Amino acid sequence: MKLTCRVKVKNALGLHTRPATLIVKILQDCRSNVTFTYKNVTINAKSILSILMLALRKNSTIIIGVEGVDARETMNKLVEGFNSRFGEA
Amino acid sequence: MRLIKEEIRLKGLPICRGIAIGKPFFFHLTENNIPHYAIEKENVEKEVLRYREALAKARDDIICLKKELGKEHVVEGVQILDAELQMMQDPLLTEDIEDEIRSRASNAESIFQETIDRFQKRFEMITDPLFQERFKDIQDIAKRVLSYLLEKSTVSLSDVPPESIVFAKELTTADIAEANHSCVLAFVSHFGGSTSHAAIVAKAKGIPYVTSIEYEPIESFKDSSVILDGRTGEIIVNPDDETLALYQALKEELDAHRITLRKMQNLPPETYDGYKIGLSANVESLAEIEMLHRFGGHGVGLFRSEFAFPSERNFPSEEDQFALYSSVVKQMAGRPIVIRTFDVGGDKFLGNELIAPESNPYLGCRAIRFLLKESGLFKAQLRAILRASVDGNVSIMFPMISSLQELLEVKGVIHQVQEELVKQYDAIPSRIRIGCMIEVPSAALICDLLAKECDFMAIGTNDLIQYALAVDRGNHLLSGLYAPTHPGVIRLIKLIVHEANKHCIPVSVCGEIAADPRFTALLLGLGVHELSIAARYIPEIKNTIRHTSIIYAKKLAEKALLLSTAQEILDLIHEEYRLHFPNDIFYNV
Repeated sequence: MKLTCRVKVKNALGLHTRPATLIVKILQDCRSNVTFTYKNVTINAKSILSILMLALRKNSTIIIGVEGVDARETMNKLVEGFNSRFGEA
Repeated sequence: MRLIKEEIRLKGLPICRGIAIGKPFFFHLTENNIPHYAIEKENVEKEVLRYREALAKARDDIICLKKELGKEHVVEGVQILDAELQMMQDPLLTEDIEDEIRSRASNAESIFQETIDRFQKRFEMITDPLFQERFKDIQDIAKRVLSYLLEKSTVSLSDVPPESIVFAKELTTADIAEANHSCVLAFVSHFGGSTSHAAIVAKAKGIPYVTSIEYEPIESFKDSSVILDGRTGEIIVNPDDETLALYQALKEELDAHRITLRKMQNLPPETYDGYKIGLSANVESLAEIEMLHRFGGHGVGLFRSEFAFPSERNFPSEEDQFALYSSVVKQMAGRPIVIRTFDVGGDKFLGNELIAPESNPYLGCRAIRFLLKESGLFKAQLRAILRASVDGNVSIMFPMISSLQELLEVKGVIHQVQEELVKQYDAIPSRIRIGCMIEVPSAALICDLLAKECDFMAIGTNDLIQYALAVDRGNHLLSGLYAPTHPGVIRLIKLIVHEANKHCIPVSVCGEIAADPRFTALLLGLGVHELSIAARYIPEIKNTIRHTSIIYAKKLAEKALLLSTAQEILDLIHEEYRLHFPNDIFYNV
């Protein structure tokens, strides 16, 4: 199953180290392939370095792609994280 | 890997003579001296494991650190370390690097460093400083991982496998100085001329050295034998049995020859018709004084003061200099020492911020020009030398004098310093012998004028040749033009020696040609009474002097002065040497 979803970065400082760390932690045990696509660049979302190198600022819009057995569950967690600004202001 | 049975012969520029037979070691210089070498297919998994272990150790470090910071409630620090831990599990630093080690069959640290360099470029392109900053975390990880990786591999030449012939793009003085002589048999580099400082150090250490060789084409022969002939500059990769046997025999003969020369140690350096020649040593560190005594040098003909402080970032203080000069003076126990003031600028750079980059450093503000400008530094050095001179036989020499005006200015400064010192210290000598280094053609042409104002002269042939011929001695494209036997150079030497002898002041030759026995008779014939060379070459040159007569030398010089090209003079002295020393396979090739 392959899911895609468009999300917006709401964190004031963008998707910096702390939220990026959280994303990778969320994805640690998931069995799906997860990608972020931003400005035609697609990266492996389990790679914190790749996320940081996207340098996503506040209000950037990315496309999350999830493919695998736990795709639905994984997508839900991620979207929730983005919407709640990963617990930040 | 290709399997080629035939020999591969490469021809480079011989820098330091000698024969070596060993295995190649490719020394890749990056900023951090990250070694780069191929891994055998069957050992690739071991290399992957080595990388994993290094990463795991670095991770353990960070976990420990994180715990400590947690105890101290440094929340931000904990978060950063948490991110670093995630980075260390990042597929880019785990699976990807492991795959690359396998596919490229290269060592872990080189692949790792390349990856980090790639990240750096990516992060540098990011405009947001907040993200750009994150590269610091990666750097921190990189440092830790590399330090664990390098623990078990080679970072410096002090730790290469035995029987290595080191191949590098360029070798620094430190590389050569650090090299463990029992493991490094020879050096090969792409860049670097025969009078570069690295070459001087290789010569002092007696390590064969060939330059102008690109090693990339032979990198795949890392398991083959390599023969280096430092006499001809030939490198033979993958030699056949016949070649190997030939060179092994040659090498044994050379070693035997060197041992016989050692026996000359206590004999005086005089021609066989009784003409005495001064034979002293060029010295750049305290450690070399011991060599001077071992090889039977009379004194220190040239103490290169700037090299005595190799790691200094700033100019050494008067006290530091005084301490060093004093111990040199004491170790020489009354024998003569010529201390040359700092010859900085050009290739002998002291790494000092005071020296701004110049577009043409060899024609720029270096040596005495620099010191006369920075009179505070100059005075500090003169004070240190004068204070140290109390305990021995010390002279001062000034590099790169190009006019009488400069020499007079220098004398003025010495006079000032002496007057100041006499008030502070008791035993400061009222007079110290001062000498001019003659290495600029204008100085050579007015040396009758200079001779009246100084006590001795030393011909620095390395620079004199470069300035007289307008050839950058470090430029490997011009190495063929750097010709010590150029008639222009020979005439300059003759002129200097003639004027010095006429004014009854001693003159020595202290460039590289002084250490080449094929030049010995020519120099003696031109009227040179004193040679100053790296201590290691003293036995060889002494042997040559003792087998030469002054009459023969005079005739040889006369003959040379009649010739019109560098090649003719070179052929003459080589041929004459071959006739007189037919058994010296070291120089007769």
